[in-house]
Amino acid sequence: MTYQAPQEDLYAVPGGEASPLLIARNVTKYYGAMPGCLDVGFDIWPGEILGIVGESGSGKSTLLGCLSGRFVPTSGEILFDRADGGGLTDIVNLPEPARRRLMRTAWGLVHQNPRDGLRMGISAGGNIGERLMAAGERSYGRVRGAAEDWMDRVEINRSRIDDRPSVFSGGMQQRLQIARVMVSEPRLVFMDEPTGGLDVSVQARLLDLLRVLVRDTGVAAVVVTHDLAVARHLTDRLMVMKGGRVVEAGLTDQVLDDPQHPYTQILTSAVLMA
Amino acid sequence: MSLLKDAEGPGGGDAARPGDPHYNFAYLDEQTKRMIRRCLLKAIAVPGYQVPFGGREMPLAYGWGTGGMQVTAAVIGPEDVFKVIDQGADDTTNAVSIRRFFQRVTGVETTEKTGDATIIQTRHRIPETPLKADQIIVYQVPQPEPLRKLEPREGETRKLHAYSEYGLMQVRLYEDISQFGHIATTYSYPVMVNGRYITSPTPIPKFDNPKMDRMPALQLFGAGRERRIYAIPPYTSVKSLDFDDHPFEVQRWDKPCGLCGATDSYLDEVITDDKGGKMFVCSDTHYCEMRRAAGHAGPAYETAKAIDLVHDDEGADR
Amino acid sequence: MADDTSGEIVRVEQLSKTFVLHNQGSAELTAFAEISFSVHAGEAVVLHGPSGSGKSSLLRILYGNYLPSAGRVLIKHRGAFVDIGACDPRVTLDVRRNTINFVSQFLRVIPRVATRDIVMDPLLRRGAAVPEARARAEAMLERLNLPARLWDLPPATFSGGEQQRVNIARSFVHISPVMLLDEPTAALDEANRAVVVELVSEARRNGAAIIGIFHDDEVRKTVATRLFDMAGRNPLAA
Repeated sequence: MTYQAPQEDLYAVPGGEASPLLIARNVTKYYGAMPGCLDVGFDIWPGEILGIVGESGSGKSTLLGCLSGRFVPTSGEILFDRADGGGLTDIVNLPEPARRRLMRTAWGLVHQNPRDGLRMGISAGGNIGERLMAAGERSYGRVRGAAEDWMDRVEINRSRIDDRPSVFSGGMQQRLQIARVMVSEPRLVFMDEPTGGLDVSVQARLLDLLRVLVRDTGVAAVVVTHDLAVARHLTDRLMVMKGGRVVEAGLTDQVLDDPQHPYTQILTSAVLMA
Repeated sequence: MSLLKDAEGPGGGDAARPGDPHYNFAYLDEQTKRMIRRCLLKAIAVPGYQVPFGGREMPLAYGWGTGGMQVTAAVIGPEDVFKVIDQGADDTTNAVSIRRFFQRVTGVETTEKTGDATIIQTRHRIPETPLKADQIIVYQVPQPEPLRKLEPREGETRKLHAYSEYGLMQVRLYEDISQFGHIATTYSYPVMVNGRYITSPTPIPKFDNPKMDRMPALQLFGAGRERRIYAIPPYTSVKSLDFDDHPFEVQRWDKPCGLCGATDSYLDEVITDDKGGKMFVCSDTHYCEMRRAAGHAGPAYETAKAIDLVHDDEGADR
Repeated sequence: MADDTSGEIVRVEQLSKTFVLHNQGSAELTAFAEISFSVHAGEAVVLHGPSGSGKSSLLRILYGNYLPSAGRVLIKHRGAFVDIGACDPRVTLDVRRNTINFVSQFLRVIPRVATRDIVMDPLLRRGAAVPEARARAEAMLERLNLPARLWDLPPATFSGGEQQRVNIARSFVHISPVMLLDEPTAALDEANRAVVVELVSEARRNGAAIIGIFHDDEVRKTVATRLFDMAGRNPLAA
């Protein structure tokens, strides 16, 4: 059996698909003697959405923390293609300023609680514009224009551009947080329970929005969730974690519809039809 | 006036030394002054960078200029001529008490004349008379961290400075324009020092910001409560932040100073009666007096004399 | 390396599917065992067998939705055979986008997207111009007797039959080389069933390989060029 690399991929994202965007190898994180995540490895390709599911304490948040540079893994490698022609960069040993720069340009982090990701004392427009201004944008008109454009894209009325997020509903705050991250056109976004704490109907709208954004921008994402419905609707591939280890991984619908590992079978049978 | 004068400085016990003999020269002990001078040297070496220092208790409450006083105490010498202004005025309580304090603990000569002073301690103004290369201006700093209102965590603001992550400050200006249609910040207007550190100019009016740019005098800043020192060496670039399409502008008044007729100075509004009468006068009292002594008069000069607002006749050598 | 037998597009080799229910005493349910067949372009193979004989499981394995327990499925994709149960998920997704389409009787409703846009989507994704995609989508909806007044509405509020027809319109507006059909005509009225039968036959004549499950005898007879009999294998022991 052979698989020949596609000559022309109709779904190719800008930047090409010659290599993975991020490679994690044997990522292990101990908190003292207690394991957070153990020996996790995977690749993420441009435009791909990877889901990480598992219960609280399964290590999924630890893994996300390691991947996004907030935690330093005890051992293992995390390599990222910065698209600067320098090949893959070791994130773990990247100096902090460079990692922070990555975090606010090529990467994005969407927190479960929008309050953690937004500046609550700053207007919606200021929140969206911050990354642009951090990157050196010095035209008020252009910042304003980009903020308006992103208000539209995340379906918040433009007339709310000068309101503070503290007067927004939870769903609007979460959409604003996404706009604030996406405005810098990141290539990889980390999402930690992006729909957690939202009403079911609000969740559905947010999921729909995320799908559209992902499709239109070609951004890759790592989505941590304990909600299998979110995983099914949003992700291409799924990793199931238990006790810090990945117990099963594969195509999202395959893992959910034909789970192989005893734990995944419990997980998928413990919820209503996703 | 010198930053490196340990050896020549008047030490304790010298009977000939000026000032109240109950105190060490300039109040602080020599060790403390040395420590502060080391911090000052570091601050000058890294313009705009906030250097932590072991701030001492001063015989004054925080908020009354204890930071500026410690910096002054560290650099002042017996041959210095000292001037203190508070919001431009030499004769307000804070200015008077600080001037008298240093008079007592150092015995130095004091002055109200900007041009005569070698050290000027200031609260919230820069004199209108351009400062010269042999002068030091010492700013009293309530909040040394320009990012504090936007980022409350000290550890984080230090990183923002260390990595030059200054998008946040631009966000503050953005907020101004989006709310008011223009950059409404009129004082504590943030500046970029030497193209590297965003720095608080202290709550001076933004009118004074351009005076900081490439100033021939040495600018020192002391924050007592926050225990921070920073500095801008002579002839250092100081740029007020702005947007390309909303450039930095200073305040303008459509009337001249009511007393001296100056059109180039920063004006304060003064209420003249209880019927809503008011006029605008120079905030820099010495500058205003100097002009009046030179024969300039503003539209409200006679009225002001009549209601006892100015006492120019008493001044012998103005 | 599988040989590129001319026209062969799906090859099933010694395929078995056994479900292991780990949380029920590791009970093993065998759907089918050691199935082998191959399908060429232009063929319509209808899976034949009683309920529980593993027809749906087989289709799902062909789509990469279920994993084989033993044996393998090869799908010709971009000029080479891909082992659909063992390849990288990215390859499976690429196969799904370009080579295989799975048509069930259920529409996975995407909220707030208008019916016409849902049907245009597969064409736009393949680079069709909007006017052309629009014309083809509308023609397809018309053919399936969906009234034009519904085209601008999201199908979430439509009846089951209407949703089913939107799904079929979306599935047949672009024909993939391999079409997997899981009872697409169930619950349709006679007129619409006839349209679907026509669509399937057209797809086949245009070179698609059809593998499907049809319970309606008449439909099966009309559509199939060949039956594959699942019976006699190990029916699902429940």
